[in-house]
Amino acid sequence: MTAEAMKFLAIAITMLAVMPSAIGEGFVVSHAVDGIARNPDVYSKLRTTMILGCSLVETTAIYALLIAILLIFVAK
Amino acid sequence: MDIVSQLKSTNLAGGVVSSLIVMLIMILLAIYIGIRAHFQDPLKKPKGMLLVAEIGVTFFENFAEGLLGKRFRMFGGYIMAIAVYLFLAFIFGLTGLPAPMTTLSVPLSLGLSTFILIHATAVKYNKIRYFKRYVEPLPFFLPINLISMWAPLLSLTLRLFGNALSGFVIMNIVYYGLQNLSAMVFASIDSAWNEVFFAPFIAWILHLYFDLFSGFIQTTVFISLTAIYVGQEAPEEYLE
Repeated sequence: MTAEAMKFLAIAITMLAVMPSAIGEGFVVSHAVDGIARNPDVYSKLRTTMILGCSLVETTAIYALLIAILLIFVAK
Repeated sequence: MDIVSQLKSTNLAGGVVSSLIVMLIMILLAIYIGIRAHFQDPLKKPKGMLLVAEIGVTFFENFAEGLLGKRFRMFGGYIMAIAVYLFLAFIFGLTGLPAPMTTLSVPLSLGLSTFILIHATAVKYNKIRYFKRYVEPLPFFLPINLISMWAPLLSLTLRLFGNALSGFVIMNIVYYGLQNLSAMVFASIDSAWNEVFFAPFIAWILHLYFDLFSGFIQTTVFISLTAIYVGQEAPEEYLE
């Protein structure tokens, strides 16, 4: 296996970190929808909190994407 | 112009120059609003820019009060400055100049200022007991605590930088693809102008997401995290 192939394999392994992050985001949204279904009055409050929570969970995926971009452009 | 030639000779990164332009815009706005507020009759209703500024100040002071307690209303000023700067810096990429957040030193300096604020608050309220946290629960945890001290700085910085950089890279890929697609479809036009037909009609939707929406969300997250981190260090408030 050449060094180039190893580099792309490393990028692929890095991007695996996106998978649990997506699952976590799904949990956040599903529980928010549960809460809204139980009590529709809190919709506007819950939406803001949900978007905030989603972007906090998303951070892990962004770290992975950042490392992947660095691997593509910086690593030799 | 002496300043312009000096800026050219210092060889600054594009993002840093854009950041300086955003700061210049903010300073001019602040001077304008300050003059308007100085000559405003307090018995009359404020109008235009002054009204927007007053609504903003009230909103951010209530935001700081809600997350930190009544004694920390003054942090509303810092939070508002950070929020306005971040949002302007994110939508500054729409002008076509280099986006400030894609240069690492810009989000790093923002993260560093919040980091210093966190530790300054901790030292102010805990006095000498502040240093006790590094030898807890046992003295040999000192190296681990010294490393984990930097985690907030790293996460604040890389969250902003990663978000802006990923948007920037994806937009560049989309522009490149649309340019080639247009050149392929309109190959009959024998000039470089056959590359420009698709991008203006498709790319703006993505700009709406990556610059406006993402910028707004990241601003909200950054100021909420700042308030929460600072609120952790401040002592509990007495109930009156």
